[in-house]
Amino acid sequence: MPIRPRLLVAALLFTCLFGAGCGKSKSPSPDSSSAAGSQVPARKVLHMGNGAEPQELDFQVVTGMPEHRLALAFFEGLISEDPQLNIIPGVAEKWDISPDGLTYTFHMRADAKWSNGDAVTAADFVQSYQRILTPALAAEYSYMLWHVTGAEDFNKGKLTDFAQTGFKALDPRTLRLTLRQPTPFLLHAMNHYAWFPLHIPTLKKFGALERKGTRWSRPESFVGNGPYLLKEWSPNQRIVAVRSPTYWDRATVKIDEIHFYPIELAETEERMFRAGQLHATYELPLSKLAVYRRDQPESVRVDPFNGIYFYRFNVKRKPFDDVRVRRALTLAIDRETLVSKVTLADELPAYDFTPPNLIGFKSRHAIQGDLAEAKRLLAEAGYPEGKGFPKVELLYNTLEKHRIIAEAIQQMWRKNLGVDITLYNQEWKVYIDSQHSKNYQLARAGWIADYVDPHTFFDLWATDGGNNNTHWSSAEYDRLLRSALGAPSTEARYDIYQQMEKILVDELPVLPIFFYTRARLQSPKLKGYYTTPLDNYPWKYADLAP
Amino acid sequence: MPAASPSPIAARPSPVDEPIEKGNSLWHDAWLRLRKNKLAVFGMGTLAIVAVACLFGPLISPYGYEEQELNNTFASPSWQHWLGTDQLGRDLLVRLLDGGQVSLGVGLCATFVALTIGVAYGAVSGFFGGKLDAVMMRTVDIMYSLPFTIFVILLMVFFGRNIVLLFVAIGAVEWLTMARIVRSQVMAVKKMEFIEAARSLGFGHRRIIFRHILPNILGPIIVYTTLTIPAVMLLEAFLSFLGLGVQPPMSSWGVLIKDGAEKMEEYPWLLQFPAAIFSLTLLSLNFLGDGLRDALDVRSSKD
Repeated sequence: MPIRPRLLVAALLFTCLFGAGCGKSKSPSPDSSSAAGSQVPARKVLHMGNGAEPQELDFQVVTGMPEHRLALAFFEGLISEDPQLNIIPGVAEKWDISPDGLTYTFHMRADAKWSNGDAVTAADFVQSYQRILTPALAAEYSYMLWHVTGAEDFNKGKLTDFAQTGFKALDPRTLRLTLRQPTPFLLHAMNHYAWFPLHIPTLKKFGALERKGTRWSRPESFVGNGPYLLKEWSPNQRIVAVRSPTYWDRATVKIDEIHFYPIELAETEERMFRAGQLHATYELPLSKLAVYRRDQPESVRVDPFNGIYFYRFNVKRKPFDDVRVRRALTLAIDRETLVSKVTLADELPAYDFTPPNLIGFKSRHAIQGDLAEAKRLLAEAGYPEGKGFPKVELLYNTLEKHRIIAEAIQQMWRKNLGVDITLYNQEWKVYIDSQHSKNYQLARAGWIADYVDPHTFFDLWATDGGNNNTHWSSAEYDRLLRSALGAPSTEARYDIYQQMEKILVDELPVLPIFFYTRARLQSPKLKGYYTTPLDNYPWKYADLAP
Repeated sequence: MPAASPSPIAARPSPVDEPIEKGNSLWHDAWLRLRKNKLAVFGMGTLAIVAVACLFGPLISPYGYEEQELNNTFASPSWQHWLGTDQLGRDLLVRLLDGGQVSLGVGLCATFVALTIGVAYGAVSGFFGGKLDAVMMRTVDIMYSLPFTIFVILLMVFFGRNIVLLFVAIGAVEWLTMARIVRSQVMAVKKMEFIEAARSLGFGHRRIIFRHILPNILGPIIVYTTLTIPAVMLLEAFLSFLGLGVQPPMSSWGVLIKDGAEKMEEYPWLLQFPAAIFSLTLLSLNFLGDGLRDALDVRSSKD
């Protein structure tokens, strides 16, 4: 190797060194008037950072959050949610639920139109649901529809005649869903793109229905029923949405164009926001949060997010097969200090297993105990002062934030209990695989709900739950879970969840750490746009102040 | 040429009344030449200071490298924490010195591994030549074509994650160039008369390689070694960046620089100090390497 490149590296390092101070002098100034593309002052153009490039704009085959925001611009489901998570009408103007909770009948509005002028009909919905459930399409979110009779069997290929499932178009404007069991949170679950309709005739024009990635989702052929229309899709640059002239509630839509930028690096996004190129970012680097809070608090938004950050125990491996060890480790974490000094984004310390903003559900049980108890439990389990504690590796996926949290917790355990663990990171896909194959001892994990109901958080720990991954199993818990959906009222159902919460608090299959929040930057000029716990607020109410 | 040879063949019978001129050894000459080179002396001095500080600093410091003060995160440099604290309230100075142990350690260890394998391999290949040479060098070519990262990941998978192994793994990759350099030098030297003389005296291959050839090619070897150390330190930084290197809470200079770079706008000291030390060390090594090359290369500096 020649000497030159190495000197170059050294030179670069020096440049970093002395260039570092410069960034500070430039004070942040969110100035949307200088934003690209807004030369005509009358047009309101919203510039949004949108995380990653969407996998596809065929929303039945995608899974991400950036896609969710796009889907909400281009499509509209039967219902929607307001910022307080109340159900509000979407394509359906009203709906009836049978007293036994098994039949939902949706009455659709007459003026709902596709962007090519066709009326949105009940048959469109049924055909869309048939497509997403087609086994050959292998849509990951198809399970969102399994509440309906026959949907799971059809999706798994056990049932071939879709007419036998619970999806029925009674007439062009009436849709009936028959459920296999009462599902009290169905309407909330329906505010998800798996439940949005597609314009099936357009899809058919561009190839077989079960083919992914056909040209129907390109701007020149795209047909949607949402408040916005796809005008431009430049991969890795931007996606442009213009207001739809056919949308039934077009009078409410105030912003003319939305530009979505797929920017994966939070640092880049922050710089663009500072330069006035974005009205809102997708996320905010942790280290910038304090600076923005000090300099321009009006641009910082920290919202609760429907998810929990936790560490999974592999309860089949020593020493975590002993609940006393799990409990000792759980008690020896100072969650308040962790969220206020390390994670810094107003996360809520978690002493139970359900985030607090779940329409009326709040756990009555919490993990309680002090450090003395933790030490006593650890001694009882055979590791006084951490002596003889087996070699334990904490697995996390490669991300700065997870490493920092892991280092803080590692140190708390060392100081409080004398327990020494090592940290180990893996790339996302390997890490996911390690968890599914239960090839770990202790692993960092998170769960973000797909709908706003406590059920999604209890479903996780069922013995056959696809995301349990801890080997933990409780017959009583499984029985309660099965009985919950059939409970006669929401109160009765929540009572069952409280009992389940008690089991979790006693057994601790996982170690809850905190409930997520999302921090982002949003220009004060952007009005009427709220982040709901699922980040699925409709675009039509957003407005830009001049 | 024989002047470069350490064996005093050059001593000729001289008139008895004149005192015999005292010969200087190769090392003594080299040292004198090196001392005249100001940059090289600067490099040596800096390296010595950095090494001593890294070795003994953490012992004196009141803080541990993993000790956190969560109430004192991102503190700027002060009398209490000379270089400030990081995101978890850990003293940056002690982390920098402790990280230096890893970085310098990996530099020396891996270089030693590379040196041992490379010199032995190159010398054998160059000395015997012919089919053996062809086979050995094609093997090196094949190993060159292996992507480095994948090779290291494979080693980690087979032998587990272990810091000593990391040192060895890097060394096991870095010896290739060394082997090529040594081979070419050996091929040039082995044709010379003093080797034939050694042969005619009936010395074995081993003695000829280690006693007659290697001392004559020390210059290029030493120079390349000083250049390998910074390369290896950069590699360690790269591997730690990927999560294949040192595991937290341990640090190395590479890790500290990576962390600092992410926060350089708000907390510039987190980047400035590690980057300064790292750059200084690399530059010093380069200066020293250049100085050694000039000092040891008899042909180019004979005046």
